[in-house]
Amino acid sequence: MKFINLFRDTRPLDWLVLILVTTVSVASLFVARATSAKASDLVTVEVKGKIVYRLSLSKDTEVDVKGPLGITHVVIKDRRVRVTQSPCPEKICVRQGWISRGAIVCVPNRVVVTVGTEIADRSVDAITG
Amino acid sequence: MKRLLLFTVSLLFIAFTLTACGSKRERLFKDSKVMMDTFVSITVVSKSEKKAREAMDAAFQELKRLEGLLDFYSPKSEISKINKGSGGVPVSVTPTTFSLINTALEVSKITDGAFDITLGVLNRRYDFFEKHHPTESEIKKLLPLVGYKKIVINPALRIVFLKKPGMMIDPGGITKGFAADRAIEVLKAKGIKAALVAVAGDIRAYGLKPDGTPWVVGIRDPRAKSADEVFATLKLTDMAVSTSGDYERYFIEKGVRYHHILDPETGMPARGVISVTVVGPKATYTDSLATAAFVKGLKEGMKMVEKNGYMAVVVDSSGRIYHSKGLEPMLELLKKHIEVRD
Repeated sequence: MKFINLFRDTRPLDWLVLILVTTVSVASLFVARATSAKASDLVTVEVKGKIVYRLSLSKDTEVDVKGPLGITHVVIKDRRVRVTQSPCPEKICVRQGWISRGAIVCVPNRVVVTVGTEIADRSVDAITG
Repeated sequence: MKRLLLFTVSLLFIAFTLTACGSKRERLFKDSKVMMDTFVSITVVSKSEKKAREAMDAAFQELKRLEGLLDFYSPKSEISKINKGSGGVPVSVTPTTFSLINTALEVSKITDGAFDITLGVLNRRYDFFEKHHPTESEIKKLLPLVGYKKIVINPALRIVFLKKPGMMIDPGGITKGFAADRAIEVLKAKGIKAALVAVAGDIRAYGLKPDGTPWVVGIRDPRAKSADEVFATLKLTDMAVSTSGDYERYFIEKGVRYHHILDPETGMPARGVISVTVVGPKATYTDSLATAAFVKGLKEGMKMVEKNGYMAVVVDSSGRIYHSKGLEPMLELLKKHIEVRD
């Protein structure tokens, strides 16, 4: 039984099955890639460790979140995020400015804004300093 | 027969695709929390999400415990109890707190006092939000309360005593590194083969990422506006790294930058360098040695770090970057120098 015979003797239904299987496999690969690429587009806003907003980095928007000290104002524009107003004393979060990856943390008002999901697509794993 | 063969091939193909998707491959799991007055993130490599979660939860729990013991600003912490007893009552503490203070004293000795947790009393006089710093006469009055040799310890009874009334220890310059080390120990005990713990900028990593590469840690540009702009990257495995910089907490008054890293000799912010990154086996030491090297300045600081088997990247006040030779295989400089405009 030569391999070539296998193709010659294959019936239309066999081909259909083979094509179907191939299409599904290849398509699933692309779907998986598309989903993981989307992950780094996600902006999450947390207050006291609880996620209050899941936003898209590609959609310009502004949200207010209420922390223990008051309202923190978060702005997404041109695929970047920043905190423009905060009731915290030192305003480290406001001074941090625009970010397109990583996180803005307001310790006093317990607000954390993160770009990307749990498995972020970043060039560095952490930043010291 | 032939059809059976084709059927088998198709079946194998499906089986292969399914295995590739829903496999038990090693993956990265990350969780972050606001604690210890900062942002803590833990990344672990694991095949099982459940195991990863359990390990991360245990590590966070340990950090919560440390926060309760070591917080300088919480009146209930053991640090506050020691401070309240200054000049009068020796305080018995848990093995954890004792180990931290003992290590802090050891670092004070090997750095000739450039690292000193008794600066607490002066730290309290700086308010970086209200832009307030103590006057020269205030500093002069408070300096006699500074000096690690005025801390008395008894290892057998785990007792800590501050000799002079009004003395205050603030272990802020070592606590975060100490916490990173403790979290790593917990993850190892939980069977995690590779992980990275970042307590703010005090980071310790071990093992390799799922793709077999080392962990990459960026060093923040000390004068860039954005906190995620880095001037160098370090490839690390089984290493810790910490950075002390004059840009973390500061204000500028009449062109002078007042920042939080104080020289124990003068009680004033240390001058000469703007960022010191220390790399080595333990975060407890990278954290405290980075502070000490910042105080000592470029030459002396670098020498002291290397003498103790650690390595450093230093940016001086003109923006020039220096690094230990030993770092070359793992260090990549993304900028040749730092733009300094102050």
